[in-house]
Amino acid sequence: MEELHLPPIDYAAIAPLLLVFGAGCVGVLVEAFVPRAWRYRVQVPLLLAGLVAALIALISVADKRVSTAGGALAIDGPALFLQGGLVALGIVSVLLIAERRVERGGAFVAQASVVAGTDSDRRQSSQPGATEVYPLTAFALGGMMLFCAANDLVTMFVALEVFSLPLYLLCALARRRRLLSQEASVKYFLLGAFSSAFFLYGVALLYGFAGTMSFTGLREAAAEAGSEDTLLFLGIAMLSVGLLFKAAMVPFHVWTPDVYQGAPTPVTGMMAACTKLAAFGGILRVFTVGFADINLDWEPILIAVAIATMLVGAVMAVTQTDIKRLLAYSSIANAGYVFTGVLALSEEGVAGTMFYLVAYGFTVLAAFAVVTLVRDADGEATHLSRWAGLGRRSPLFAGLFTVLMLAFAGIPLTSGFTSKFAVFSAALGADQVTLVIVGLISSAVLAFPYLRVVVLMYLSEPAEDTPTVSLPGVFTSLALVIGLVATIGLGVVPGPVLELAEQASSFIG
Amino acid sequence: MADVTTGEQIVFWILAPVALGGAIGMVAARNAVHSALFLVCTMLSLGVFYVVQAGAFIGVVQVIVYTGAIMMLFLFVLMLVGRDASDSLIEVLRGQRMAAIVLGIGFAGLTATGLARGLGEVETEGLEAVNAVGNVPAIAAELFTHYVFAFEITSALLITAALGAMVLAHIERRKGERLTQRERSRARFAPGNYPAPKAGPGVFATSDSVATPALLPDRTIAERSLTDVVRIRELTAAEARPKGTDRR
Amino acid sequence: MTPTYYLVLSAALFTIGAVGVLIRRNAIVVFMCVELMLNAVNLSLVTFSRTTGTLDGQIMAFFVMVVAAAEVVIGLAIIMSIYRTRRSASVDDANLLKY
Repeated sequence: MEELHLPPIDYAAIAPLLLVFGAGCVGVLVEAFVPRAWRYRVQVPLLLAGLVAALIALISVADKRVSTAGGALAIDGPALFLQGGLVALGIVSVLLIAERRVERGGAFVAQASVVAGTDSDRRQSSQPGATEVYPLTAFALGGMMLFCAANDLVTMFVALEVFSLPLYLLCALARRRRLLSQEASVKYFLLGAFSSAFFLYGVALLYGFAGTMSFTGLREAAAEAGSEDTLLFLGIAMLSVGLLFKAAMVPFHVWTPDVYQGAPTPVTGMMAACTKLAAFGGILRVFTVGFADINLDWEPILIAVAIATMLVGAVMAVTQTDIKRLLAYSSIANAGYVFTGVLALSEEGVAGTMFYLVAYGFTVLAAFAVVTLVRDADGEATHLSRWAGLGRRSPLFAGLFTVLMLAFAGIPLTSGFTSKFAVFSAALGADQVTLVIVGLISSAVLAFPYLRVVVLMYLSEPAEDTPTVSLPGVFTSLALVIGLVATIGLGVVPGPVLELAEQASSFIG
Repeated sequence: MADVTTGEQIVFWILAPVALGGAIGMVAARNAVHSALFLVCTMLSLGVFYVVQAGAFIGVVQVIVYTGAIMMLFLFVLMLVGRDASDSLIEVLRGQRMAAIVLGIGFAGLTATGLARGLGEVETEGLEAVNAVGNVPAIAAELFTHYVFAFEITSALLITAALGAMVLAHIERRKGERLTQRERSRARFAPGNYPAPKAGPGVFATSDSVATPALLPDRTIAERSLTDVVRIRELTAAEARPKGTDRR
Repeated sequence: MTPTYYLVLSAALFTIGAVGVLIRRNAIVVFMCVELMLNAVNLSLVTFSRTTGTLDGQIMAFFVMVVAAAEVVIGLAIIMSIYRTRRSASVDDANLLKY
């Protein structure tokens, strides 16, 4: 038989991916060979250096538009922009994950294998947290970057699992309330595996329809067949279930509040910012590259999903009494707003969506950073009643949180306003008036819980047991500053980033 | 080979019911171990289908990886967790079970009729052309050219799995936390501890029942040969009456 | 008979798995049902590989097996750890988060 030849691989274009995965692999070796006392001091700089190097590599290949590795990867504008966003948000997440000053030993348990609630578990309560979280974070981020660039269904599925598995693990590693954390992890895992089975069935049906796994091939086959084909219709439906689950859209959102509440807060932040970005990266590619030509048939269903997501997220957020659950429902509603940008199905919509994802990511990471700081003797005080009067105890952090809440509510001069404007104007440009109207109503409803938190912080009397706001360590301070600067910066001068997104908004293939 | 041979039809009509029965049995069985064995049954039938349809390689991989490795891991964990980890029959959400079954039948009907109608007359290409060089070389040629990146990235999955198993299941004990042999021996002969093994119940007695205490050489009862359970149990007058086994 | 019969069988197996996920409450059995769904997908992939005359489907089936193996390791480790804490593997016992 003839010899096999490796397809040409553009190593410069995939250098960012390789750097992040490489940082993960070296991190595993560090776990194996570096003495325990040194691991934290090696792991954190290693991972941060890997991410910064990936960011530099991304900037240096910013003009590349290639399809490489035998067509498996499309390094095009959206892929590069989303990867850049992922790495930037990833750096902030890693800063939160690496914080050890606020809680002695960090937010992660020292040895997850020790049974929760036993004597040995109490003994390890002040030991430094597990350092395995850093390579796991690196693999998760690498998988998300791959997910945004995957150009065929096989690579997409592998990337989906590469970023999901570390997240299931990270959810189970909280230091406090370990049972809650493990339950969150089991729920996330079982529902995640269930949804990826649907994703796979969709892949199988689409393959049976087109005889190929690549998005370009799928689009050609779809254009040829029209929209009558049962396999195509069923395949898109099943594939969407898997993707919408990862993006936490109604009706596949039920896991979100539980998992967000149970997971360690830095991991929650990472899921809200990075996982959401990656999921929408995949959705954008599937719907604009794979099935753009047959959009008329699936559009009504997806519009219904977007409307349901915006309304359910906003209404449920009003009834929440726990700040992490409130942020979880708000992230569901925000997924709905992002989806209006996707449904515009135009380059403007792609640009708006990408801008929204990055802007929202920074704000939500900063919000979860503040949540890690409000503590009492039992750890984080997440119940809203405990936040009463916090504005008098600690004006600085209450002020900071107020800015973030106003950004979520979409007040002008914050990134929340510019990003909502970007997606809604794109949707208007595509004549999706219903979506925009529902989006505006939902934003108005969603402003209520945000403002309620603000009012609670300033106008209520502080109780005897009002928790204190811990002094943040260097890492959390840095994350807060980055989040705040991005929130206000993207609100006041959104031009450069928005332009970058617009330049990067066309897919290849 | 667009047509399905008679032999294949016979295989299908024998094994398809087995696969379906295994699947239904898995969902219906109360005992988790039975569920696992039913699933093994389904997986083996599918392995045969793969051999018939696509060549020996994927069929063998199915048997080795799925039934050999994955299902054994399931059974292993089931044994570790406790074999009696079966479900209760109480529904937490009223009507959920019925709703799920109705939904499932609807879904299956939709998908199956859709597939049957959509594919009824579709030509089967067959794999002769692509398998001309042999099934395994042909798969390798695809895997190591088009899908080489996905193939390499699966290593991240495997590393994650190994790391995850270590983090969640391996308890690391440092020196000083573990008892040495010397400490164990000292503890064994320390005052207050009885160094010899416990006498088994019934050893010096005339009955083998666990409720019959061992007798010491002076014919007194050896307290430590009785389990607490027996001691706590209240005996009725009839049970407590001497059974007459002492005398011949 | 055509290979479509295999696809109908696969759809049936997939549905049985999905129903099992919804009605069983033992976390390990729920996970087995997910494995059944993955197996059903593999049968579809192999059959489609035959009907379309390409090998991508078989390769995807191999990837599914690798992913399933990694997923089983992680899933069972998580279920084990929660079991050791709660001494039960029922999904509904995991309910601190439901309110």
